[in-house]
Amino acid sequence: MLVLLTLTDIQKRYGGVTALRSANLSVAAGEVHLLLGENGAGKSTLMKIVAGLVEPDGGTMLWNGSPVNFKNPADAARIGVAMVHQESLLAPQLTVAENIFLGREERHPLGWVARRRAVEQAARLIEQHHFPLRAEWRVEKLSPAGKQLVEICRAIQHGSSLLIFDEPTSSLSGAETEEVFRIVRTLRERKMGVIYITHRLEELRAIGDRVTILRDGAAVHSGPLQELTTAQIISHMVGRQVAATYSRDAHKPGEPVLQATGLHVKGKLHNVSLTLRAGEITGMAGLMGAGRTELCRALFGVDPLESGTIQLAGKPVRIASPRAAVRAGIALVTEDRQITGLALPLPISVNATMANTEAISTCGFLHLRRQNEIGADYIAKLRIKAQGPKQPAGRLSGGNQQKVVIAKWLFREPRVFLFDEPTRGIDVGAKVEVFDFMHELAGKGAAVLMVSSEIPELLQVADRIVVMRQGRISGELPRGTTPEEIMALATLANSEAETIA
Amino acid sequence: MKRLQRLLPFLSLIVLFISLVIASPHFLTATNLSSVVRQTAVINIMALGMTVIIISGGIDLSVGSILGLGGLSGAMAMERGVPIVPAVFIGILTGLACGFLNGFLITRLKIAPFIVTLGTLGIYRGSALILSNGLPVHKLPPAFSTLGEGAIFGIPYVLLLLIVCAIAVHILLEHTRLGRYAFAIGSSPAAAMYAGIPVAFHTTAVYSIGGLLTGLAGMIEASRLMTGQPTAGQGYELQAIAAVVIGGGSLRGGEGSVVGTLVGAFIMGLLSNGSDLLGISNYVQQVVIGAVIILAVAVDELRKRRVV
Repeated sequence: MLVLLTLTDIQKRYGGVTALRSANLSVAAGEVHLLLGENGAGKSTLMKIVAGLVEPDGGTMLWNGSPVNFKNPADAARIGVAMVHQESLLAPQLTVAENIFLGREERHPLGWVARRRAVEQAARLIEQHHFPLRAEWRVEKLSPAGKQLVEICRAIQHGSSLLIFDEPTSSLSGAETEEVFRIVRTLRERKMGVIYITHRLEELRAIGDRVTILRDGAAVHSGPLQELTTAQIISHMVGRQVAATYSRDAHKPGEPVLQATGLHVKGKLHNVSLTLRAGEITGMAGLMGAGRTELCRALFGVDPLESGTIQLAGKPVRIASPRAAVRAGIALVTEDRQITGLALPLPISVNATMANTEAISTCGFLHLRRQNEIGADYIAKLRIKAQGPKQPAGRLSGGNQQKVVIAKWLFREPRVFLFDEPTRGIDVGAKVEVFDFMHELAGKGAAVLMVSSEIPELLQVADRIVVMRQGRISGELPRGTTPEEIMALATLANSEAETIA
Repeated sequence: MKRLQRLLPFLSLIVLFISLVIASPHFLTATNLSSVVRQTAVINIMALGMTVIIISGGIDLSVGSILGLGGLSGAMAMERGVPIVPAVFIGILTGLACGFLNGFLITRLKIAPFIVTLGTLGIYRGSALILSNGLPVHKLPPAFSTLGEGAIFGIPYVLLLLIVCAIAVHILLEHTRLGRYAFAIGSSPAAAMYAGIPVAFHTTAVYSIGGLLTGLAGMIEASRLMTGQPTAGQGYELQAIAAVVIGGGSLRGGEGSVVGTLVGAFIMGLLSNGSDLLGISNYVQQVVIGAVIILAVAVDELRKRRVV
């Protein structure tokens, strides 16, 4: 088998922090190489080195047997390395087609950009792969999943020989994930090398050939996937034994806390009614674009309701803004924590107290010592890996950032918790902890809504599962249901009557 | 190393000060230093307000015009027989009203601050010219000059005013909820909104504070000139922004400090005073100050890049 890329003893330090101590990786043509590890293990840094975004401090990199040294992404791209990023690196103001061809526009002899041809080519590519995209859409209007699809198109179009997928499916629904797998398999058949980073352990077997596991900046295991059990993979990743699945007792639901009736948001929600009860975790499933995030936004006062009522503890409330929602006792852990969840440059303690500055101030004046004590408290309570309460939130890994978002709401003590994709982009260990927090909240009598595209997670955590489809509630399933039942409601394969109506 | 780089503007100020002491015998004299203080106080007080605005992720291009309109309205009040102290407050309140209008337009019409204040830059300046028919107001009570030129125990009043304003703005930024929200809104407007912070209210408050301080600066300027000039303050907005930026403020929002801004304003003040003393032409001065602004920001960017 032809070895495309060999990395030996790669090192990288950022100031005082060691991101990579000794990373080794070797990828052959025609294989899907899984790169696994917890957040902060150094996967992203290693891949940034391969893609030319970051220069290593030490180690050697061989491409087809000869040493290479990428100074910038263009170097890597020229040699044939492309990357589908976890965080979108697209130009939001441009269209899907323009982004796919960005930097490689076909030109007329006079230097014009061949816009129409680019749109046609992009449309053909999108059609081939059945993506829910249109070439002329502007990228800023797309969801995180949509942006991911554009990045995949872009990498395919550029005809690279090594493709890096950095958690491509973390924001995709089941059908889209299948599509990504199909694409990855096609790439493998075309004898391309694929490096695939994922946190979803249930995905591994579907696509992986070989696996390299990183822990604390060093490669701790490398070899064929068949030789490893999932339990062994996890213990390599975390360096100790962890349960692969999460299980716990059902909660006894109490009184209704939030009752939404007949919610309409133009073009997004149609006659949605939902009751969240004290002490219960309500799961919410659905495909991308089914209206789950839109429902959270409507309940949280981000998007105005056209009609419908919301009652809290039996009293009708008008929630016209996030401020009103927060004051009424509703919290929203958003799917996009880096933009809507945290002020990244500000310290952990400031972020943790952001939604409840009233509690740390008198007549508008802040008690800074109290603020730092609270920050330190939550760092200990939620086991946030940080240097201290004054560390900027942006310096933390994904899972720890998510814990800071949760700390922010815990300090506000709301009655209703809305979690939108709470485990996106966070590692196994942190996921279990997030589930524990949700469990604890419900145990203390909060009403919890958990929106997730990860059906296994919903099955493990939720007391019941509500399914949405095309802006409507398409059904409700009890704890102990099956993925098939959920998918049937999410796609509603069995009721054409409604589509016609 | 990191701390050293953060102290860089401050160290530059000290180096500049020492160089000027060596280069010119006329620099380290009470008269010259107090004139530097008086010259920079106006820009300094404006720049304090601009610091809060820039931290919140905004910008105010209209402060030069607010300074003109504020000073003029105070002077016109005095000309019509209003006693000095209430007249000074009229000037300050005019500034506050202008700042409030900026904030109101930015938050209600949801237009970028750059555009709104570019518009009000013209509106406030035009209003000052209309009110005064384009003519300066000269008939001011002689005692009014105390504000800009008076001193107590040899310390100029303007320096005391500047210190009071600086302490107040520092406390506002670091120890109040308003300041905290300014940082939050500047760092991430979406996260601030999702945390339930009343973003529109606090944005308006931030511009109002900027206007208030500019109104005060306008009265000081009027007192120093003993004239209500409808054209006073032209181009000051750029100096105020430059002071904030040299002192480490970021136009992307979320960054800036009172101490930094003071240092920034004094660096510019010393550069222009030093050039005067050394006989360097006004033309060269402009080139030097422009280069310093770019250099300061470049160094700051390098510092940030290395840390991240």
